[in-house]
Amino acid sequence: MISVTPTALADSANKIDLSNLSPEQVALSIDNLNLYYGEKQALQNISMAIPKGQVTAFIGPSGCGKSTLLRCINRMNDLVDICKITGEINLHGENIYGKHVDVAELRRKVGMVFQRPNPFPKSIYENVVYGLRIKGENNRRVLDEAVEKSLKSAALWNEVKDRLHESALGLSGGQQQRLVIARAIAIQPEVLLLDEPTSALDPISTLTIEELINDLKEQFTVVIVTHNMQQAARVSDQTAFMYMGDLIEYADTNTLFTTPAKKKTEDYITGRYG
Amino acid sequence: MMKNSNKEQKNMNKWFSSGSPWIWLSAGGVSISLISVLGLLWLIASKGLSYFWPAEIHEFKSIDQHGKHTTVIGEIYDREFIPASQLAHTSIVLDPTQETVERLLVKTGNRELVSLDFRWILVPQIQSTSTPEELAVIERRTNGNFYGYIDSVVLDGKEVEKSKLPELLTRVDNFQEEIDQLQTTDIGAINYQLERLRLKERKYKLDNQLTEARKQELASKTQALKDEYTTLESELMALRDEVARDHIVVRAMDGQKVTINFEHILNITYNNKLGLFEKVGTFLSQIGGFLIDDPREANTEGGVFPAIFGTVLMVLLMTVIVSPFGVVAAIYLHEYAGKNALTKLLRIAVINLAGVPSIVYGVFGLGFFVYMVGGSLDQLFYPETLPSPTFGTPGVMWSAITLAILTLPVVIVSTEEGLARIPSAMRHGSLALGATKAETLWRIILPIASPAIMTGIILAIARAAGEVAPLMLVGVVKMAPNLPLDGNFPFLHLDRKFMHLGFHIYDVGFQSPNVEAARPLVYATALLLVMIIISLNMTAVSIRNRLREKYRMLEH
Repeated sequence: MISVTPTALADSANKIDLSNLSPEQVALSIDNLNLYYGEKQALQNISMAIPKGQVTAFIGPSGCGKSTLLRCINRMNDLVDICKITGEINLHGENIYGKHVDVAELRRKVGMVFQRPNPFPKSIYENVVYGLRIKGENNRRVLDEAVEKSLKSAALWNEVKDRLHESALGLSGGQQQRLVIARAIAIQPEVLLLDEPTSALDPISTLTIEELINDLKEQFTVVIVTHNMQQAARVSDQTAFMYMGDLIEYADTNTLFTTPAKKKTEDYITGRYG
Repeated sequence: MMKNSNKEQKNMNKWFSSGSPWIWLSAGGVSISLISVLGLLWLIASKGLSYFWPAEIHEFKSIDQHGKHTTVIGEIYDREFIPASQLAHTSIVLDPTQETVERLLVKTGNRELVSLDFRWILVPQIQSTSTPEELAVIERRTNGNFYGYIDSVVLDGKEVEKSKLPELLTRVDNFQEEIDQLQTTDIGAINYQLERLRLKERKYKLDNQLTEARKQELASKTQALKDEYTTLESELMALRDEVARDHIVVRAMDGQKVTINFEHILNITYNNKLGLFEKVGTFLSQIGGFLIDDPREANTEGGVFPAIFGTVLMVLLMTVIVSPFGVVAAIYLHEYAGKNALTKLLRIAVINLAGVPSIVYGVFGLGFFVYMVGGSLDQLFYPETLPSPTFGTPGVMWSAITLAILTLPVVIVSTEEGLARIPSAMRHGSLALGATKAETLWRIILPIASPAIMTGIILAIARAAGEVAPLMLVGVVKMAPNLPLDGNFPFLHLDRKFMHLGFHIYDVGFQSPNVEAARPLVYATALLLVMIIISLNMTAVSIRNRLREKYRMLEH
C-alpha cells in the first residue's frame, strides 16, 4: 500500500463525508454524465460531487477517461467535433451544458492548466494579463496588481519580477508551468483544473508545483488528473479511481489508498496493472 | 577471377548502400542550379552594364573593292566571324586559304546623315584604326548620338573658344531643368485644374444645377487659370529662346559640317580622352541617368524611371489588396468552414487557380474589372466625363487587382499551412482563459502565423513583379504621359495607365524601330527588373525573419 504523507493525513482531520455533502460544500456536481466519441462511449454514467476548497484527484490507467472527464468540466470537449455528451454538470446549481450558457464565461469560472506548459509567445506580463485583457480590463494599475498577486500565488514572482517584459518562452519548463498556473488564476476562477500538470517536468519542478497545489486550495477548488499515484496521495484530499470510462471508487484519499473498497482499485494501487 | 569480381560487386553494393552516390547526385543538382542562377545574373549584368560604360570611339579608314576611301567613326558593338563562302559572290578579294572573315558591328550614330546608325565593317578591308582624342560623343535629345569632331562653338552668333563648352552646357542644363519644372509641374497642374473645372460645369449641367451664378464663378476661375497659363507659356518661350541661343558646329566622319543647337544637346564626352576614374564617373552618372530619367526616342534612349515607379507602385498596391483577402480566405477555410466535401472542393479550386495561365487572368480582368466594374463605376460616379472613360479603361488599379487575384492562391495556401502548424496547445490555452474563437484568432493565432503569411506575400510579390502578359490587357502602356502619383489632388491617380519594366523589356526588345541599338538596353532593363524584385523580396524576407525570431522558441 502507498504511504500517505502527513499533510494529507492532517487534512483528513477536517475530513468531509463525500456521500453526504451539504449544498454549500459542493463546488461541482456531476450527474449521470455520458460521453461518446462517435460510436465509442468514453464515459459511462458518471456521478460525483466535487467539494469546495479541496483538492480532488482523478487517477486511473491510460485511456480510462480521467482527462476526458476533466475536460467536460470546462467544456473543452466542445472542440472535438464528434464528441457527444448527455447528463449534467452543475455549477451553482446551473447545468453548464444548458442552452443559454456562455462558454467563455464558464471557462473564466473554471480555469484549466494543461499537460505541457503552453505559454503564449508574448512577454511574461502579457501572458498573465491575457485573461484580464480578454475581459476588457485595460487599467494599468489593476493589471500590475493582478500580475504581482498571481505570480506570487504561483510562487514565481521572485524569479521573474525583474524580467516581466521579457518573452515567456525564455523560462524553464517548470517556470513556464507555474506561469501558466499564474495566468489561469489571474482571472480569479472558482475551480482550477490541472491536467497532468507535472508529467512534462523534472522532479524538482514537480515538487514545486505540488507544494503550490497545496497552497492553491485555500483560494480555489482544485481538480487534478494524474497518472502518478504517489502524487495523488501527496496532494489530494479526495481521490476518484476510474477504469474504462467508469468511476470505480471515489473516496477521501486516505481511505482510498489504505482501505480501498473495490478489488479493481486495490489491484491498481498495488500495481497489478496500469 | 570469379572471386575478384564478387569482391568488386560487394564493394559496389557497399558504396551504394552508404548513400554516397545519392549525396553526390544531390550535390550535383544543387551545383547546377547554383551555376545557372549565377550564370544568368552574370550574363545580364555584364551585357547590361556594358551599355553604360563609355566605350572607345574608333575611326576606321578603309578602301573598298572599287578603291574608294571611306572613314567610319563609331563604337564597336559586336564582332563575329562569317564563313568566307558568304562573300564569294561579292568582288571582295580574300586570301583563298581563309575560311572565315571577321566583321565588326559599329554604331555610327548621326541618324540625320545616314539612314542606318549601325553598320558592318569587314576587318580585311580596314586600312587603319585609330582612336583620336578629339573625337566627341554628343548625346542628344532626339536622333540619338552624334560622333564627330567639334569644329567651333558659336555663342549668340559669335565664335568663341572651345574651352567655354562645359560652362555653356551647364547653363543650358539649368535652363532645361527650369523648363521641365514649368512644363510638367506648373503647366501640368493648370491643365489638370482646367479639366476639372470643365468637368464640374458638365456635371452641374447634367444634374440641372447650372445656375447663372455658378456659370459665372466657373468662368471667372477658368479665365484666371488661362491668364496664368499665358504668363507661364511666355516664360517658357523665353527660356526656350535662351536655350536655343548657342550652337556648335561638328564635323562628321564624311567631312560634312553639321550645326547642332544646344537645345538638343544633353551631354558631350570625349570618351577617348577619359582616364579610368573619369570613365567610372561617366559610367555611374549614366547609370544614375538610366534610373531617374524619362525615356526618349520611343523608349530606346534615356531612362526608365516611369517604368520603375509603375512596377513598384503596382506591386505594392497588389500586396495591399491580396494580403487581407488571402488571409481572411485562409482563416475561413481553416478555422470556420466545416470539414466536408464542399470545403475540400473549394480548396482544390483555390489550388487550381494557381495553375491558370496568367494571360487568362488578363482577359478576365479586362472583361470583368475594366468593362463591367469600371464601366459601372463610370456611370455611377463619373457621368460628366463620359463618353471618355475614367475607370472603364485599363489602369493601375485594375492591374493591381487582377494580379491580386492571380496571386491569391499563393497567399491562401501558405497562410493555411501556417495556421495548421500552430500547436493546438496555443488555441486551447487561450480558449481555456475565456477567450472566444475570434479573440483567440486575433490575439494569438494570427501573430504566430504571421511569418507564414509573410512567406505567402513574398511568393506573391515574386510572382506579380515578373508578370507581364495580363498587364498588357489591363493597364500597362508603352509610354505613359503622367506618373500615377503626382502633386495634383487626389495625388494617387489609380485610374491612370502606367509603365512597367517587364513590358518595357518586351517593347524595347521587339517593338522598337532599332533593335540593334536596343539590345543592351534590354539586358540593362532585365537586370534592373531582377534587382527590383530581389530588393522587394529582401524587404519582405527581413520582415519575416524578424517575426520568426519573435516566435522562434515555439518550435521546441
